[in-house]
Amino acid sequence: MEPPVKRLIPALLLAVAACGAQPAPTAGTTSLTWAVETQPITLNPQLWSQNKARLLVFNQFDALPSRAADGSFQPWLATAWKVSDDGLTYTLDLRQGVTFHDGATFDAASVKANLDQFRVPGYNAAVSAIQLKAFGKAEVVSPYQLKITLNERDGLFLDFLASPYAGQVSPRSLKSAKDLKFGGVDLVGTGPFVLDRYVQGQEIHYRRNPAYRWPPAGAAHQGPAHLSEITYRFLPEAAVRVGALTSGQVQVIEGVPATEVNLIKKDPGLTLRTSLNSGTAYSYYFNTSHAPFDDQRVREAFRAAVDVDAVLKSVYQGTATRAWSIVGEKSPFYDPTLKGAYGGDPAAGRTKANALLDEAGWKERDSEGFRVKDGKRLTVREIASAPFVRDRRDILAQAVQAQVKQNAGIDFQVRIVDQGSAQKALDEDQFELFGNSRGDSDAGAALNLILPAKGAINRTHFDDPQVDKWLIAASATSDQAERKELYAKVQRAAVVSNAVVFPLYVPADQIAARKSVRGLGFDPASGTPASAYDVRIGT
Amino acid sequence: MIKRLGAGVAVLWVAATASYVALLLAPGDTIDILIGDGADTPEIRAGIVAEWGLDRPEIVQYLSYLWRLLHGDLGRSYQLQRGVGEILATQVGPTAQLTLAAAATGVALAGVIAVVTAGRGRWLRGAASAAELVSVSVPPFLIGIVLLSVFSFTLGWFPVSGAQGPAALVLPALALGLPIAGVLGQVLRGGLERALEQPFAVTARARGLTERALVTRHALRHALIPAVTLAGWFTGTLLGGAVITEVLFGRPGLGQVAMQAVTGRDMPVVMAVVLLSAAVYVTISTLLDLACRAIDPRIRG
Repeated sequence: MEPPVKRLIPALLLAVAACGAQPAPTAGTTSLTWAVETQPITLNPQLWSQNKARLLVFNQFDALPSRAADGSFQPWLATAWKVSDDGLTYTLDLRQGVTFHDGATFDAASVKANLDQFRVPGYNAAVSAIQLKAFGKAEVVSPYQLKITLNERDGLFLDFLASPYAGQVSPRSLKSAKDLKFGGVDLVGTGPFVLDRYVQGQEIHYRRNPAYRWPPAGAAHQGPAHLSEITYRFLPEAAVRVGALTSGQVQVIEGVPATEVNLIKKDPGLTLRTSLNSGTAYSYYFNTSHAPFDDQRVREAFRAAVDVDAVLKSVYQGTATRAWSIVGEKSPFYDPTLKGAYGGDPAAGRTKANALLDEAGWKERDSEGFRVKDGKRLTVREIASAPFVRDRRDILAQAVQAQVKQNAGIDFQVRIVDQGSAQKALDEDQFELFGNSRGDSDAGAALNLILPAKGAINRTHFDDPQVDKWLIAASATSDQAERKELYAKVQRAAVVSNAVVFPLYVPADQIAARKSVRGLGFDPASGTPASAYDVRIGT
Repeated sequence: MIKRLGAGVAVLWVAATASYVALLLAPGDTIDILIGDGADTPEIRAGIVAEWGLDRPEIVQYLSYLWRLLHGDLGRSYQLQRGVGEILATQVGPTAQLTLAAAATGVALAGVIAVVTAGRGRWLRGAASAAELVSVSVPPFLIGIVLLSVFSFTLGWFPVSGAQGPAALVLPALALGLPIAGVLGQVLRGGLERALEQPFAVTARARGLTERALVTRHALRHALIPAVTLAGWFTGTLLGGAVITEVLFGRPGLGQVAMQAVTGRDMPVVMAVVLLSAAVYVTISTLLDLACRAIDPRIRG
């Protein structure tokens, strides 16, 4: 064994420089390998919980309506739907001639069986408590017509019907699947691909469903999928995914970190596509229940002390999109008037931050330069649970930490801990700040969890009866224009008038692929990679 | 033999109990873990408590866990919603393949290097020593990335990922086996050189034995005892290293299941992996004892 160190380092550089040297996959093949970052923890769409695994769901399953980028709903397995004037009855007309992969016919009875499945205790506690809170009963009117009755108005119900949770599962397999909650090859849907192999830790493999004739409105083609088979390989390490792509071992990857973006852009044999996610922006939420963030001036000072553009540029090398509201700008409910409505000029921000803190009584400085009031240092703690830290958010926190220290004398402590410790800190209110983004396809669903006084993840302790009223009103109507107006008021209240949130950036997804791969795109509802239905290999 | 078996079972019980208690004492409760980053309402919590029987006293939960364990039931994974036994059954094979291949690579490399370089010129010895030091001190993650960059991404000799045939096993086995070769090689060579200074070596040389025959027929046996003892250590290194190697190479296996389970505090899976590792340890140390007796007749007496 001779010492290979000297030769390896140039080899590493060579590896970086030699992208695209390998031949593209042979023309005419209709199989594709796609390297993905995240393993699904379940293959049952009704228990789906990972946005990063959303691209798999609609290969195997179809939902009832589909959702377009503007927030409107389009026909899919449900060809039409009617909502009664009181908003409590939904009548769905279903597509005829649709069959599940096990040969069973899709009809009103199967949709009812899917909805009723959520009633089984211990099946999906979260969905039955949130998304299906208003669900009353489902009745089969005729073989292809279903009547759903709600107990209260719920403007988000159609969004549920278009979500992975409403991916239609063959009622027969709901009964017979060996591991219902995990899913797998014996839990079947109606989708363009049939799951035929899942190897945990390695890959998931689908073959084409030759009978498929029912894509959602807005799909690029009709009939069965172009690819005869597709393999998703799990490669959690970003550098390994990129290496596998540049060396031609896989044809598509998702999850391209900012550090690798330029490498891919420079390679003439590769393409890179990016899409902002829907849902909420990655934001810092201030805990208003105790000092120092119970004082709005301190909250505003923290925001003003950070030059967000500079921080994002250094952490994400210019690939991140700055956020101005809780709601990401991909969402139809985003209020664009918030752009620049607070902060903006970094120099003015610094002056403002220091003036606000002086005014709030944090006048003295200790030996390390941090502000002090009544002998207590101006310390704010962020608690983050390690399994959920992604997207270089730890580095982002460090950059913010340096800025608030230098610009305003705030001691920002970042603690990345295990899930249990994080939950304990949240329960005991031992934190001043937490970061969060949500990928809900309807941003209103996220706002309902975060902002109401009794919201399920209201960790700011923000309590504004007016905001609660707006949110309830927006949830009760399915009129998109009315909802947009109400959510604009909510955003302004949270971001500007109360400053309980510090929006940082809009999360995005990336797909990099060999040039020969066509038809890649993003799910208009979520902004995450779309299913492989329209994907094909061109020449 | 019965005494040994009893001791083995005791080790397993202690391992199970210790990990159970450790996970119990760690901050946050099971409900928090199961809720994770998602919505959190009293109804959701009540649903989870009912589903997993978390309202029973801890001692009852522990005893029922032991009872099920005695019946070979490892429980259900919190995260993956499947039987733990089933998850492990699908993952044991790839990890066994990887660790055995890595062990074989490590042992073979160490053996060859030690035999070739023991008692030889300063240059050869120095070069081998330096290579061993590098392979021991460079983190396995980096070894893996370098191997991938060179042999997979640039030269295209081996596929990056999966457990598909022998070609896909080469790089992970090397990444995992090199550190073992490093340590084992040093120990083996040290043992060989000590043995070569013994009086019996002088006698053998006087009989006209060549240096090579002396090393392979006589000295190696002496040098093996410390090396075999070390093999117990590298079982641990292999199991630990498998975590990094499997994640890096996108290979199925116990390592990445264990990592997912620990970060997600998926108790039933963590416990099962601990038990399995303990069982492997007990088995291997028993086998090693037997091997030592075979190698060194003096121990048998």
